[in-house]
Amino acid sequence: MPQYMLALYDDPSRWPSLSPEEMQKSLERYMAWGKRPYVVTGKRLAGDSGRVLKGADGKPRATDGPYSETKEVLGGIYLIEAKDYDEAVERTLDHPHLAHGTIEVRQLYS
Amino acid sequence: MSLEPDTSGLLEHLFRHQSGRVVAHLARVLGPSRLDLAEESMQEAMLRALQVWPYQGVPENAAGWLFRVAHNAAIDAIRRGKFLEQNMGVLVAELTRSLIGTTANGSGDDPDFERQLRDDELRMIFMCCHPAIARDSRVALSLKTVGGFSVREIARAFLADDAAIAQRLVRAKRQIRERELTLDMPHGADLERRLDSALETIYFIFNEGYSTHEGQDLIRKDLCFEALRLGRLLAGSSIATPRVQALVAVMALQAARLPARIDEAGDLILLEDQDRTRWDQGLIAMGFHYFDVSMSGDQVSEYHAQAAIAATHARAESLTTVDWPLILELYDQLLAVSGASPVVALNRAVAVAKVHGPAEGLAAIAELSGNPQLRDYYLLLAVRGHLLLELERREEAAACLRAALECRCSEPERRFLRRKLAQCEISV
Repeated sequence: MPQYMLALYDDPSRWPSLSPEEMQKSLERYMAWGKRPYVVTGKRLAGDSGRVLKGADGKPRATDGPYSETKEVLGGIYLIEAKDYDEAVERTLDHPHLAHGTIEVRQLYS
Repeated sequence: MSLEPDTSGLLEHLFRHQSGRVVAHLARVLGPSRLDLAEESMQEAMLRALQVWPYQGVPENAAGWLFRVAHNAAIDAIRRGKFLEQNMGVLVAELTRSLIGTTANGSGDDPDFERQLRDDELRMIFMCCHPAIARDSRVALSLKTVGGFSVREIARAFLADDAAIAQRLVRAKRQIRERELTLDMPHGADLERRLDSALETIYFIFNEGYSTHEGQDLIRKDLCFEALRLGRLLAGSSIATPRVQALVAVMALQAARLPARIDEAGDLILLEDQDRTRWDQGLIAMGFHYFDVSMSGDQVSEYHAQAAIAATHARAESLTTVDWPLILELYDQLLAVSGASPVVALNRAVAVAKVHGPAEGLAAIAELSGNPQLRDYYLLLAVRGHLLLELERREEAAACLRAALECRCSEPERRFLRRKLAQCEISV
């Protein structure tokens, strides 16, 4: 079965306005989705902007990752199984993240 | 909203309740003047959970995780020098010590530590309910700090706007600082006074949640259960007196009726028309348990009489077996201990009508009509209209109900009055 990477972007600045109860409800919706049988794994990215390595002219150099111009940042990824893009999209369409954020779906090369 | 079963394994209201406990604990370690830092640290822990758990799963001991992360957030904030304090080293050492306390046995369910947390929460309740703080602020502060409610949730529950609630919280925190209120447990004569204030605040929160308002927002039910939780916390502590147990009994017995109070259309159902099979038997059992415990000692408080009335209703298997003469007697007792609360007197008039007939009930109401506190109180007019209707004095009844509709009341109450009014007009 082909695997797809879901990259979840959102704007973390909206979170602090949630109440504890709303946070828990939101969390529960994510958790419920994450337990579906076709979800292979999920990983949260650390909160920094990472490093970018470039070797275009001469010696490769590491720089701090790009600060995104947009408010949305890549927060985490999931791997899911699906037979094709249509099914991958279908399986992601009701992800609770889409209530406020963006999800990018990419097939892994196999 | 997902239709899938909740498989997250999180306890209901975990965040809300854990928020109260962690803030109480941090505030005790940091001191009440740094309540804001305690709240911010817990907020940060919950945000971290929100970011990480969806991907990595819920840690085995979710409550302990939140506790630790909040502690570390507080330590970081102090180290970053956000709070330039001379005693920074002492604070960090204190926080680290309590952090080691939780991690020592890994599971976080060490009974001593559990006791400590409950004690912290208790101290926080006493501080939030301090008589030096205005009641509105006391209520808002208790719900925010101990209950883990947000400003918006409190505003929604009290039909107030966010800014008004935020204002009350600011005032409360200022009073804490200016009056140098502490998280010390009150003692001796002071304890009695402080306990009274706490019970009054808790019962106010309960009644506010119990009163019917438009929409029957879930948040109002949450208020009732939060009041019940706070009451049980006090009742389970060493400072509990029989009147604390009695208050818990009243709240449990009344909360048991919540599922039967509103029909599917959102209309109000009077106690006498409620389907008793829908009353929550677990809460009734809880209510009777606390009621029994409250009988030790010879203290008779307002809450005892209220609990006895609620227990009499709960004991009856149907409306026809309600012991109204006993209820009337209990209302007389209640009036004797609570002073002449006009609302209690109005409830007594209903009991008079049940025991001695509607004419006597009307006479009891007539005595109350001049009371300025009940002027423009829709319920007085509604009860009067109801009794007049029973006496077939339809035109007078209709006039009463129309007047009631002019008073301030909620939409479900208004619909109820209109239904009654229609009954008067059918056979005029």
